[in-house]
Amino acid sequence: MNTSRLQYRDTISKSIVWLLAIPALLVPTIILGYIFWKAAPVLDWDFISGTADGAGFGVTEGIFAQLLGSLLLAVMACVMAAPFALGTALYYRIYASPRQQQLLIVMFNMLQGIPPIVFGLCGLVMLVNLFAWGVSLLSGAVVLAIVLLPLLVLNTLAALERIPLNYTEAGRALGLDSGAIIWRLRLPRSWLNLLTGLLLAMARALSETAPIMFTATVFSGVVWPDSLFSPVTTLQTHIFYLAQEGNNPQVINIAWGSAAVLVLLVAAFGLIARVLKKLEAD
Amino acid sequence: MAIDPIHENFQQVALSSSDTVSPNSEGIALQVERLGLQLDGKVILQEISFSLPVKGVTSVIGPSGAGKSSLLRCLNGLLTQWSGSVAVNGCDTRKWRGGWDQLRRHVGLIAQKPVVFNTSIRTNVCFGLKSWRQRRHADELVEKSLRQAALWNEVKDRLNEPATTLSMGQQQRLCIARALAINPRILLLDEPTASLDPHSKQLIEQSMLQIAEQTPLVCVTHDLAQAQRLQGPVIFMCDGRIIEQGPGEQLFSQPQRIETREFINWSVCDCD
Amino acid sequence: MLKWWLSASALLSSMMIVLVVGFLLQSSWPLLQQQGIAFVAGTEWYPFESLYGMLPALIGTLWAVTLALLIALPCGVAAAMLSAELLSPKLRSTVRFGMELLAGIPSVVYGLLGIWLLIPLLESQFELLTGRTLLAAGLLLALMILPTIMVLSEDAISAVKQSHREAAKNLGIGWDATLWRVLLPQAWPGIRIATLLSMGRAMGETVAVMLVVGSIDRIPEPFYNLLQPAQTLTSRIGREMAEASVGSLHWAALLFCGLMLAMLAMMISLLTHRQRLVV
Repeated sequence: MNTSRLQYRDTISKSIVWLLAIPALLVPTIILGYIFWKAAPVLDWDFISGTADGAGFGVTEGIFAQLLGSLLLAVMACVMAAPFALGTALYYRIYASPRQQQLLIVMFNMLQGIPPIVFGLCGLVMLVNLFAWGVSLLSGAVVLAIVLLPLLVLNTLAALERIPLNYTEAGRALGLDSGAIIWRLRLPRSWLNLLTGLLLAMARALSETAPIMFTATVFSGVVWPDSLFSPVTTLQTHIFYLAQEGNNPQVINIAWGSAAVLVLLVAAFGLIARVLKKLEAD
Repeated sequence: MAIDPIHENFQQVALSSSDTVSPNSEGIALQVERLGLQLDGKVILQEISFSLPVKGVTSVIGPSGAGKSSLLRCLNGLLTQWSGSVAVNGCDTRKWRGGWDQLRRHVGLIAQKPVVFNTSIRTNVCFGLKSWRQRRHADELVEKSLRQAALWNEVKDRLNEPATTLSMGQQQRLCIARALAINPRILLLDEPTASLDPHSKQLIEQSMLQIAEQTPLVCVTHDLAQAQRLQGPVIFMCDGRIIEQGPGEQLFSQPQRIETREFINWSVCDCD
Repeated sequence: MLKWWLSASALLSSMMIVLVVGFLLQSSWPLLQQQGIAFVAGTEWYPFESLYGMLPALIGTLWAVTLALLIALPCGVAAAMLSAELLSPKLRSTVRFGMELLAGIPSVVYGLLGIWLLIPLLESQFELLTGRTLLAAGLLLALMILPTIMVLSEDAISAVKQSHREAAKNLGIGWDATLWRVLLPQAWPGIRIATLLSMGRAMGETVAVMLVVGSIDRIPEPFYNLLQPAQTLTSRIGREMAEASVGSLHWAALLFCGLMLAMLAMMISLLTHRQRLVV
């Protein structure tokens, strides 16, 4: 065996790793830069705060309505999903037998694996048509809530898991009932983690397009929905429709601008969640 | 006895990379001169000089934090920021052919806590062999190494079982067998029996003495009785320096330095 | 009261999956009743002639996912290896932060990128009439799952105990052997989960794929020809759902596509869950 060959082998294998890794690191970075470079011409305050009038068919700048719609849907979905997620996670911790626990975990991992478009389909059939809610804010929010549910449950479980067992046992030793243990021990101890989970869910809700495409959104003409049963416009679907308007470069610019805003919005939620996580760890 | 082809191969490697043995290093396996080490501005080792005979166990004793483990890590190239010179069989380790990795194949190190990989016992013993062909045809080597590490009788019927099912003591012997399988010319042991039961301790000491008939061993220990049982020369370290070194009996019965005397008395009291 | 709330929400949320699957099955029942199950293997999809062959979309999905994994897995794991083993801690946390950010980019943004960056690029590179091909879908999906694979693999690799790395070093087996025989085998459970998760994500990705895949029901001809427009299960749903009239066979067929997606996804997550309890 040649010793110098062994040394070369080290260098070669390291270079192969570098070679494979560099595109993985560079391409996404370049792409992120590309989005903002394309968006730069339209990005300004008027773009964000302006509302496109219905007749403009997207050519008029301004994405305020879409921004509002996206946030509204995401917040509603979170508000709907959160109590169920918390309840399920607490049930898991307090009442569930080991068998049930296992079943719940498998269930939620499965639910999380199901593509969002499938929930969109179900929402379209059941909520929009069967219940006759129509393409509406409510339908979209419910579908989104189902998409978020497994994420929230698993996050909440992880947050509760981090509470040491002796902490709740100490409470039990003081004679507190389970309700008091939840309100006075578990939730105060883990609320930062729960909030982190909620923020991540918001980010996720903002980035989903497929489930709301058929259930909640129209292309334009709405600034603020009149009721739960009226459709909204969202940033995600706005980008989706504009992207296919191939013959007008101005429209594509607006699409890039909207994409940049959406990326920033999602990143902002992710960042806040990250900061909170760090805060909790310290 | 017929030498199996794998071992022969390794023997050749060993010879080929030490073809520059200088004449005055006859009888000396390891020569350390003025070795010093600083990590993050803190002095860990200074002015360490000693040499190792070609066989026998050399014990390194001293209080914790004396730099004993760091010394071993410098000798086999896990730490490389040291100053001074270390020569194995007359070759400077900094200029070792094939670099530090190759050096570590010649200077084995056994850690205090046994580290076994999550595979079968057999695969663990063969872990250091480089090509899969060698690993596949290594039955004799596996048996020989396990025998040397006094583990063969316990595991010969279950070589394909996961190594993690072994007890701590067995795992440590497995680590020794794994290090022996690549035929090191010096074996360094960092408190190999510190966390083990008396029986394993005894077995490991026996196999150390047996291995030491062919290979020089350096054994860091804080157990003075163990250093005495291992019979070889003893080096006493404190605060990163060598305070005293010499034949074991002499150092234990008539320590020359006051620190040594204090350490020995204190340890004896502590043990009782 | 408390117990009631907890039990009700647990029951409802765990019933969700049964509800979804049962509902999809019920809605696609008319099609199954009329055509049996044989149409799954059919190669023709012409809703106007009541031909609902699923094979083109299934093969398209398979190809897109395979292609994405073939690209993203080696690159992602190599990047994880690089960041866990070769980079300084400071650089490493920067890389990780970037990857976590990238993992959050909405899929519709990737779709936009696909249409206005990737497709023109492919058209000029391969001199194609249309860049809307399986290759485009695969590349885009690879890009989308790359951050997930990298973040999870890096977790798995850096979870390998330091003492094991050191033991490998002590045996002097070299960096490449350490990689193959210590780091990758020990990180494998994590990498496997990362692969399965991103596989599920790639399979279910809708918006980005339907914008670039071309949406033409055709089996690649020959089978490795990736420079053809194709169809995936998701892109078909996305393209045709708005056109199908409620309650028609076409509608039922699309819902059956959804059912198949759900089944496949559930199979994948059954494979993952064995080693993963709580995320």
